[in-house]
Amino acid sequence: MKVNEQLEFNDWCPGCGDFGILRSVESALSELKLDYTDAVLVSGIGCSGKLPHFVSGPIAGVHTLHGRALAFAVGIKLSNPKLNVVVDAGDGDTFGIGVGHFVSAGRRNVNMTIIVHNNGVYGLTKGQASPTLKRGEKTKSLPEPNINDPINPIALAISSGYTFVARTFAYNIPLSKEIIKQAIQHKGMAFVDMLQPCPTYNDINTNEWYKERVYEAKVDYEVKDQSEVIEKMNQAIKLAYPSDEKIPLGIFYKNSLTPSYGERISANISNYEDYYPSMQEIEESSAPITSIDSMVQARRVV
Amino acid sequence: MRLSWMIGGAQGLGVDTSANVFGAAVARAGYYIFGSREYFSNIKGRHSYFNVLLSDSPQHSVNSTVNILATFDAETIFQHYDEVTDFLIYDKGVEAMTIDKVRSLEPEIAVKAAAILEKAGLGISIADVVKFLEKKGVKCIGIDYGPLMKDIINQLKMDPFVAEKARNMLCAGASFGLLGLNQKYLLDAIKSTFKNAKIAELDTLAAQAGFKSVQNSYNLKELPIKGHRVQLDGNTISAIGKLYGGLSFQSYYPITPASDESTYIEANQVLKTSDGKTRGVVVLQTEDELAAINAANGAALTGARAATATSGPGFSLMNEGISWAGMNEVPVLVTYYMRGSPATGLPTRSGQSDLLLAVNVGHGEFTRIVIASGDHAEVFSDAVMALNLAELCQTPAIHIIEKTLANAYAVMDEETITSGKFKIERGKLISPGDPENYKRFELTEDGISPRAPLGHAHMYYTGDEHNEYGHITEESENRIAMYEKRIKKGQLVFKVLQENQMANSVGSSDTVILTWGSPKGAILDAMEELKAKGISVQMVQVRLFSPYPSELMAKLLSGKKRIIAMENNYTAQGARLLTENTGIKPTHYVLKWNGRPMTKDEVVSSISDVVKNDTKKVVLNEGK
Repeated sequence: MKVNEQLEFNDWCPGCGDFGILRSVESALSELKLDYTDAVLVSGIGCSGKLPHFVSGPIAGVHTLHGRALAFAVGIKLSNPKLNVVVDAGDGDTFGIGVGHFVSAGRRNVNMTIIVHNNGVYGLTKGQASPTLKRGEKTKSLPEPNINDPINPIALAISSGYTFVARTFAYNIPLSKEIIKQAIQHKGMAFVDMLQPCPTYNDINTNEWYKERVYEAKVDYEVKDQSEVIEKMNQAIKLAYPSDEKIPLGIFYKNSLTPSYGERISANISNYEDYYPSMQEIEESSAPITSIDSMVQARRVV
Repeated sequence: MRLSWMIGGAQGLGVDTSANVFGAAVARAGYYIFGSREYFSNIKGRHSYFNVLLSDSPQHSVNSTVNILATFDAETIFQHYDEVTDFLIYDKGVEAMTIDKVRSLEPEIAVKAAAILEKAGLGISIADVVKFLEKKGVKCIGIDYGPLMKDIINQLKMDPFVAEKARNMLCAGASFGLLGLNQKYLLDAIKSTFKNAKIAELDTLAAQAGFKSVQNSYNLKELPIKGHRVQLDGNTISAIGKLYGGLSFQSYYPITPASDESTYIEANQVLKTSDGKTRGVVVLQTEDELAAINAANGAALTGARAATATSGPGFSLMNEGISWAGMNEVPVLVTYYMRGSPATGLPTRSGQSDLLLAVNVGHGEFTRIVIASGDHAEVFSDAVMALNLAELCQTPAIHIIEKTLANAYAVMDEETITSGKFKIERGKLISPGDPENYKRFELTEDGISPRAPLGHAHMYYTGDEHNEYGHITEESENRIAMYEKRIKKGQLVFKVLQENQMANSVGSSDTVILTWGSPKGAILDAMEELKAKGISVQMVQVRLFSPYPSELMAKLLSGKKRIIAMENNYTAQGARLLTENTGIKPTHYVLKWNGRPMTKDEVVSSISDVVKNDTKKVVLNEGK
């Protein structure tokens, strides 16, 4: 018997939201006809981090470090801008240990996508409170109710400069797939807040709990002119802090007018998109071909 | 010959610039230069100084004393007067200034400086220092900076606030006048340094005024020059080496003394190649060092030659990312600018206290390549070599450059770096024939697998233990094989490096000075003087620390009468690695951990002490 490179199973708990996310990611990749030649799935640590390993079909997966998925992803994308880079990371991963990278990625508007598996708990370490769990809530394995206030991922993304901000629910696969596809196709840094039940450790925000509250919000989210930026950002943030118990899903904000990081690099390196770092020839028959003459001559004293 | 010149002043008032101009001028007259910069973690106001050593042959260190101390403030005099042997150039306008009035003087230094004067029965003013020095035979040249600068300001009708800054050049001009070299060298150096015509004119007039204030005292002659010479500091030469070696992605987070390398790369990011193309190097200023190392890891996975540069605090933060690179066999380079530790330590001073951190960086057992450069020429060749070794072995490489080298500059023959003897070796970098069935971590004889960049094959990376495809597995036999793979790959280093790239041996004697990094320069510069004193020594400078060249070191050191470990740290970390790997122990120690570079004179006196008196441990403390 030959051990196949495809893993035939996965080890998430029964009922885990990750199954829905996996299906949405797979479908989005397949409908966009993306494989290892033009896409990379980058993940962090935790239950969500295993996702690339479980995707069926030939892809490239990079399962990184806790909190650092975005840092790896930025390096991959900037060195090979032809790759579609999709990051899957958890809420603890992204808004706890890695929150600095989340903010910085927005400021750069790197042309890639991050899907945050948002279930309110640190699943793989047995259910501690994550940065999105509300204050006062006591999920199954917390000794006491959570005494930290939660981050609002949508508001944080908007204020950090993300130019595509959306929220979906893990078990709404058609919507999730569509949003992921649009996020990947967006020219800029896209954030998908993926609400997800953790059937093992989050006994508050269950599948049923979500199903009673989520709805697809219909807003005019797209910035069509620079003058609308602030208004559309405010609209998205307002939607992210609803006055009722309901949870809006859908695209909150989209701005294609902000130059992507690649475009900003191209302003300094004119042939960047055509001759990016990963494709550069640096030697011929082992001899270096980079000219350092001008740098050396600038330091000539005699 | 070695002539030591020092200029000092408040940070931000052009100490660096005048030292660079002075050095360039002397170099134009055919002399070699080694310039060492000392400064506070401060932008404006604190005392900084530049010590320039000039000679008719290449030099790599400074002296404990200075022949000419060039000053334009009082603080520099109080700081350094006890080091001067020949000339003090000073501002007559500060003669009445006393030690207690110089608030930026560190109290420990003020007390010491005053004690010397009081012991000689003098007061604590600059006039007293002048008396003290004259008595010692030092010639003190008082210059009326104020009136001289006023004349120039009137002549040029410049804003006095801007123009007063040219005092540094007046000071450099006076220094140059003492040497006896043609003034044109200095004026040429000014012209090529200042692009702004008005500033160039100002500095020219100031230099000329200084030049006229003194008389030729050293009678130096112009020396013949063969080929071109360049003046390069450690940050810059590392950057140029990395670019030449094919670097195309550099990430960094600002930190002293590493950032200058990255900003230089960014300033020169569009490069011409001999195939008629231009290639652009992406320089990413990250949010922290965690992002810097991991963005470089990501870039390396795409096949780009990727690196980051940092210093102690940042390197500490990079531990986990380097561990991931070891686990995933990522060729990533970290240029490690070593400064005074622990914590923030002495952020603008030097040290060798993090060697053991570098060889053990990241949790887990895996091959780390660790190399340490001993001088500017090695910084260049090691930068290329480190990129090669990372890729040949598919593992992280760490290139150690101490602050002493980073902020020192050397005038060297241009052919040192343009000789064309350097090679780029990319190892098993491939585009696989059957990309759907590619095994990124295929088990091979030498532990190194054919490496396809992302985008070229179906593949997986993970920080978890993994099988040949890169999928997570905790199975025991696979664990054993993969663990061994990541360690045995290091053996390749011994096959590709020549002996002198692993450890550099100079001279032959039964007394060996065992060292690494910047002390190399002081030792080489001291060997002749030691020989004249009847002390013959051999220097063994370790350049490769991981994997450790145990066989070579045993060969070089076995049967030696004395092995003197000479390092800029407290516990002789380089020697500890020798003992750990070979069982050989040093017989004597010469150590220095005050953050300042080892001087040639310290090497002479400490080695003499060890050899003549069998002193087991000498602790050095020169340098302000």
